[in-house]
Amino acid sequence: MIWLAWRQFRVQALSVAGGLLVFVGALALTWTRVTTLAEETGFTGCRDDIACRDAADRFLRAIGHESAGALYLAGLVLLLVLPALLGIFWGAPLVARELESGTYRMVFSQTVSRRRWLLVKLAVGGVAAALSAGLVSLVLTRWAAPIDAAGSSRVEPITFLARGIVPVGSAVLAFAVGVAVGLVLRRTLTAMAVTLLLVVAVQIVATPVMLRLLAQPITTVTPLRADTPMVLIVSGTHVHLDAGNDKISGAWMIEESVVTASGETFTGPVDTTKCDTSIKGELVQECRDWLAAQNLGQQLTYVPGSRFWPLQWRVFTILSALTVVLVLFSIGYLGGLSRSPFRRGSSAGRARGSARRT
Amino acid sequence: MTDALTAHHLTKRYGRRTALTDCTLEIPAGRVVGLVGPNGAGKSTLLQLACGLLDPTAGRIEVLGKRPVSGVKEVGFVAQDTPVYPGLTVAEHLRLGARLNPSWDRALADRRIDQVGLDPAQKAGKLSGGQRAQLALTVAAAKRPELLLLDEPVAALDPLARRTFLQGLMELTADQGISVIMSSHLVADLERVCDYLIVLVASEVRVAGDVDDLLASHHRLAGRRRDSTGLAVLEKSVAVIEESHTDVQSTLVVRSTAPIDDPSWQVDRLDLEDVVLAYLSGRPR
Repeated sequence: MIWLAWRQFRVQALSVAGGLLVFVGALALTWTRVTTLAEETGFTGCRDDIACRDAADRFLRAIGHESAGALYLAGLVLLLVLPALLGIFWGAPLVARELESGTYRMVFSQTVSRRRWLLVKLAVGGVAAALSAGLVSLVLTRWAAPIDAAGSSRVEPITFLARGIVPVGSAVLAFAVGVAVGLVLRRTLTAMAVTLLLVVAVQIVATPVMLRLLAQPITTVTPLRADTPMVLIVSGTHVHLDAGNDKISGAWMIEESVVTASGETFTGPVDTTKCDTSIKGELVQECRDWLAAQNLGQQLTYVPGSRFWPLQWRVFTILSALTVVLVLFSIGYLGGLSRSPFRRGSSAGRARGSARRT
Repeated sequence: MTDALTAHHLTKRYGRRTALTDCTLEIPAGRVVGLVGPNGAGKSTLLQLACGLLDPTAGRIEVLGKRPVSGVKEVGFVAQDTPVYPGLTVAEHLRLGARLNPSWDRALADRRIDQVGLDPAQKAGKLSGGQRAQLALTVAAAKRPELLLLDEPVAALDPLARRTFLQGLMELTADQGISVIMSSHLVADLERVCDYLIVLVASEVRVAGDVDDLLASHHRLAGRRRDSTGLAVLEKSVAVIEESHTDVQSTLVVRSTAPIDDPSWQVDRLDLEDVVLAYLSGRPR
């Protein structure tokens, strides 16, 4: 059965594998360039915060001019799109094509139970999906590590979904979605279209929402001091105070605001004798002192970069659990197909139907 | 010996459409059974119930003494339109059979492929209808089943391919001594190979029995015209299957185990096709 499952699957498997290997090859070719740039711009081995921030900017700018920059974006897109591709081209036709062309009647007449038939087909495709997504994600996660560190954060939704083991979970889930949809709809093309919709929904809605719910962001309040960089915007009665130092390296920043001692967002009023709001630019020292005396604090809500792996495992576990549910559903559904007819899949049924009418 | 197939009040409905109604049958083992009926009579449904691809809506079916489940080694099935994998070669189909069936008879498979002149390297998608049917039959036969179910295997074949296919089937049954149930809407296809016949019309079994018995017990009676009260004088053991009347003459097809002695009838023998046609056009029981 493994032989048959592989034999029927190998063309699709090898064409996807070929494409992915080209991409991995491109990463390998640019690998030293990325590390060299990180060293040349001083990003590798930078010491304090300010030096690192400048070095990171230089590094990112340098990368942007190179093919590595394009490759970085391509990697994000590829890993976000890969599950959909696998669901459509590997998953959806897996059973739908057999039901549509009637070949299920041949294979079910061999000495093999339907459950085993489906499980082996699912296992071969699932392992292939996990390996392809895993290989690309592994290589890309390491290749892009300095860029991720210099850039925003790999805990942020888009990057998060294209790093670590989450792509493996998404790819296997998308494959299982395709199989289940093909089994229920019994039409390859329709199944491919529906699979695309479902997988896109999972990728751009469900998983980011899941990530947000699991993220458990941290909220910190730092007292505002006179030397904290600040921007004060006053228009009419509306007051908005923006504090600097609002980035935490490697973290996914969710919210930031300046709050009063009671924890509410600071909205004024401002002592206009101290703070002359008509003057643009740097706040005068008098104003800074006054603001610092108001018991204000800078409140940051964020998911620290160190949460990356725990979150990866949690999202991966949920995606895997969904996969298991879909597999169990598919096995049950295939077993129950003999109660409802294979009518739409079988030309015999159509022929019989039309003979009736004539 | 266990019957090849028994059915008790077997019914299959697809939604609101009934494909098989209250079918009760006993098919002995070791026979080559023809299942004949017009398109839409329920032949495919009965065969798919027998190989476990379908589950009954009501009633009971047993194949070789067991409730049928797909994927058992005792039952071989060649589905309608003889499906094969277009992308796989002939040799790969044999490999598929060998991998999926512990009871695979490789020598038989190779010999048959050779006999019917199939090129092992050819893709199944490029085979003619007759060749495809031969390939499907080979895969089903080399599984060495006790019961082989064939669903209209020759329906799509030209007369020559039909003859070759049936020839091959006869050789197989002679060699292996297996039970075969084969459906067709043409009696002519079945006449040559079958020794047992089931007539299925409008999802009901009209008659089932040994071919020799069917031939011996059915008669055509011709005589002067008479109405149904006139027919009532026929003995109780005589069942009228079909009647047709002209102004002066009545012609009946009847079933009777005893010889018909009534001198007012001219009694003729029937061939198998006549018997089947009588049931196909006759009134329901």
